[in-house]
Amino acid sequence: MRIAVVRPQVPFARGGAEIFSDALVEELQARGHEADSVTVPFKWYPGARVLTQAFLWRLLDLTEADGKRIDMVVATKFPSYLVRHPEKRVWLVHQFRQAYELDRTDLGQFGESPEDRAIRRQVQQLDRIGLGEATRLFATSQNVAGRLERATGLVAEVLPHPAQELSYRNDGSGDFLLSVNRLDRAKRIDLLLEAAAAEPSLRVVVAGDGPDRPRLEQLVRDHGLDGRVRFAGRVPADELATLYATCFATYYAPIDEDFGLGPYESFLSGKPVITATDAGGPLEVVRDGTTGRVVPPVASAVASAAVWLREHSSEAAAFGRAGNAIAISVTWDRAIGRLLS
Amino acid sequence: MKVALFSPMPPERSGIADYSALLLPALQARCEVAVVKRAARKPPRGTDLCVYHIGNNPEAHGWIVEALRRTPGVVVLHDFVLHHLVAGLTIGRRDGHGYLDAMEREGGVVGRLLGHAVLDKRIPPLWENRPEDFHLAGEVLGLATGLIVHSRYVEDRAHAAGYDGPVWTVPHPAFPVPDLQPADVAGEPLLATFGNVNTSKRIPQLLEAFARVRRRNEASGLLLVGATSPGFDLDRRLQRLGLDGAGLVREGYVDERRLWQLMIAADVHVSLRSPTMGETSGTAIRALSLGKPLIVSDVGWFAELPDDVALKVPVDEQEVETLTAALELLATRPDVRDAMGSAARSLAEREHDLGRVADLYVAAFELAAGGGAVSDSVLREVSEAGAGIGITAGSAEAQEIAARLAEADLGG
Repeated sequence: MRIAVVRPQVPFARGGAEIFSDALVEELQARGHEADSVTVPFKWYPGARVLTQAFLWRLLDLTEADGKRIDMVVATKFPSYLVRHPEKRVWLVHQFRQAYELDRTDLGQFGESPEDRAIRRQVQQLDRIGLGEATRLFATSQNVAGRLERATGLVAEVLPHPAQELSYRNDGSGDFLLSVNRLDRAKRIDLLLEAAAAEPSLRVVVAGDGPDRPRLEQLVRDHGLDGRVRFAGRVPADELATLYATCFATYYAPIDEDFGLGPYESFLSGKPVITATDAGGPLEVVRDGTTGRVVPPVASAVASAAVWLREHSSEAAAFGRAGNAIAISVTWDRAIGRLLS
Repeated sequence: MKVALFSPMPPERSGIADYSALLLPALQARCEVAVVKRAARKPPRGTDLCVYHIGNNPEAHGWIVEALRRTPGVVVLHDFVLHHLVAGLTIGRRDGHGYLDAMEREGGVVGRLLGHAVLDKRIPPLWENRPEDFHLAGEVLGLATGLIVHSRYVEDRAHAAGYDGPVWTVPHPAFPVPDLQPADVAGEPLLATFGNVNTSKRIPQLLEAFARVRRRNEASGLLLVGATSPGFDLDRRLQRLGLDGAGLVREGYVDERRLWQLMIAADVHVSLRSPTMGETSGTAIRALSLGKPLIVSDVGWFAELPDDVALKVPVDEQEVETLTAALELLATRPDVRDAMGSAARSLAEREHDLGRVADLYVAAFELAAGGGAVSDSVLREVSEAGAGIGITAGSAEAQEIAARLAEADLGG
C-alpha cells in the first residue's frame, strides 16, 4: 500500500511523537509498504493562529501524489488529523491538550476573554470533525482514549506502540537515577531535582533538552546540586542505551502524560520506573511493587522510592524483568497488523 | 465571561421556570451567570452575552422579547411556534397593527387578511386552531445571534424559516429523582398522562383507546393529572364518546412532590401531542429519569426519542387504533415495560445528565460570545494569505477555500 504518515512539525523541536511517527514510516517500509512522512509546520499562538495553522491541513490534497494514488493516510496528532482522505486512519498520540485538560492550569494557553474561550471551543469542534471522519480511530493508551471519549464522545481502540529502536541491554545496577524526557514543565523534572535536594545520597542524570532547561539548571544551582545532577542534553542513541543500561532505575512522572515511551524504554533495559500517582498513561504499565514505584507527586516520596530501589537491588531487578515482559509484548508486527486491518 | 440570563424563574408556574431553576446552579458552577430581574430591559454592566429563554406564553416571556429587541443575543427557543406569544405582545396590548404586521411578515397578504379576520372576530383565533400554520417566530429568529434548541425538529424549522445563524442542540436536562413512595392509585397496570387536559394532549383519543383496553383488561387504570384547559369539558367528552369513566382517576394541578409520587406510581407514561409547538415535554423527561416506558405522538421532539424508550403513535386517521395497540402491548407485557424503562433510565443518564447539558450550554455560550471575532480573525488571516499570492474573491480557489472553511466550521 501507499501510505502517507502525517504529522505537524514544530521546527527545531523533536520529541516522542516525532520519533514515533518516523519509526512508523520505517516499520511500514520494512513490511513492503510505500510509506512516507508528510509534515506541515505548526505554530499554535497567538490568538486564533492555532485555528489558521490547523486549517492548512484542510487544504491539502493527499488523495494522490505525482499521479499515483495514496491508499491511506495515518495521522497521529492535532492538527494533522484534519487532513481529508477517504481512508483516513488516526493513531492518536494526543489532542491539543491546552484545549482540554490543561485548560485553566499553569500549562494552559487560553485566557478568560470571550475570544480565547471561543478559540478553545473551535479547537474542540475541529477535533470532532477531523477525528469523526476517521475510518478507524486508535489511541496510544487508555489515558488518551479516555480523554478523547470524555471530550468528544468518540471511542478509540487502544493500540500502544513500541519504543524506539535502541541497543537495549542491562549492564547491572549503577549508582544514578535516570530521567529521559523533553525538558518542559509538564514533564516535571523539577520534582526529580527537588527529590535530589531532599536526599543527599541521590545521583541523577537528566537526558533531553527543552525550554525548561534554564530554569531547571538554576534550580540545581539554587539547591547546590552541582556534581550530583548532570544534564546530559540530547544524547546519541548509543549513549542513551548505555545510560539506560547502567542506571539503577528511571524517573518518569509527567503530569497526566498521554502514553509515555519512557517506561517502555526503561523496561526494555530491565530497569524499574518511578512515577507519580497523577502521571496518566505511564500508570497503565508502571505498577507499584510490580514494575516500579508509584508515589505521590512530592519530592520526599520520589526520593524515598529512589533510595528504596537503589538499596533493594534484587527487588528492583525483579521489577525490571516484570516490566520487560510487558514491553516486549508490544511489537510493530502486532501494531501495524491492527492499524492496517 | 459574564452571561446575563433572561428567563422566568420560580415561583412563576411555568415549565421553563422549572427548567431554568434546575439548570442555573450547574451553569453558575461553570461560568459567571447573572439572572436578570423580571421586566428589566437591559443586561447588567460588563455582560459579554445575553441569553433569552423564550416560549409561547406572553405572560412569562413578553418582557424577555422586549429585552431581546433592545440587546440581541442567544435565544433558547423552547417552542418553535410563538403565535400565542406574538398575539399577547400585540393584540393583548391593543396593538392590532403589530399583529397584522407579524402575520404579513410570515404569510404575506393572505396572512394580513387572516389577521384582519381574527381582529374582527370573523374567524377563531389562529393561535388556538391553526398555530402550526403561522408560527410567527420570524421576529425572534431575526434578533437571535445564536439559537439553542432541544431538538432537530426545531432546528430544521428555524432553518426553513430563514434563520442562518449558529444553532446548538442541547438536550433537556434530567430532573433529579426524589426519594418518594409512590402514590396509592388503583390500576393494574396504571397508565398515566401528565399536563394540561385538553385536545392538543390528545385526551379524547386517549380516553377512547383506554376504554377499549379496559374492555379486555378491567383492572387497568388511567390517571389524568393536570388542570383542565378552559373550554375542555372532560365529562361531556366522556359522554360524547359513550364512555362511563370506569378506571379513570382524575387529579387536577398538583405540587411537585405529589407529581413525582403519581409519576412513580404509574406503570406507563403517555405523552401525546398534536399539534406540536416544537416543545420538549418536561414530564416525558421525568418519565425517562424514572425509567418508565413512554407512549408518545410521532411528532416534533417526541418523534426523536429513541425507539427503545418510546412507542410512537402517528397522528392520523388510525391514531386511536395504534394508540390502543400500544397501550395493550405495555399493559400486558411487563417484560417490555421493564426493557423500555431500563433503556429510558440509561438514556436519561447518558444524554440528559445535568452536568453534560450544562457543559453543552457553556460551550454554546463561549462560541456565541467570542465565535464571531474568532471567525473574523481566521477569515482575515486566510484571505490576506490568499490575496498575497493572487487569489481573488470569487475565484475558484477562493471558493474552494471558503468551502473548506465552512466544512471545518470556521466561517467561510
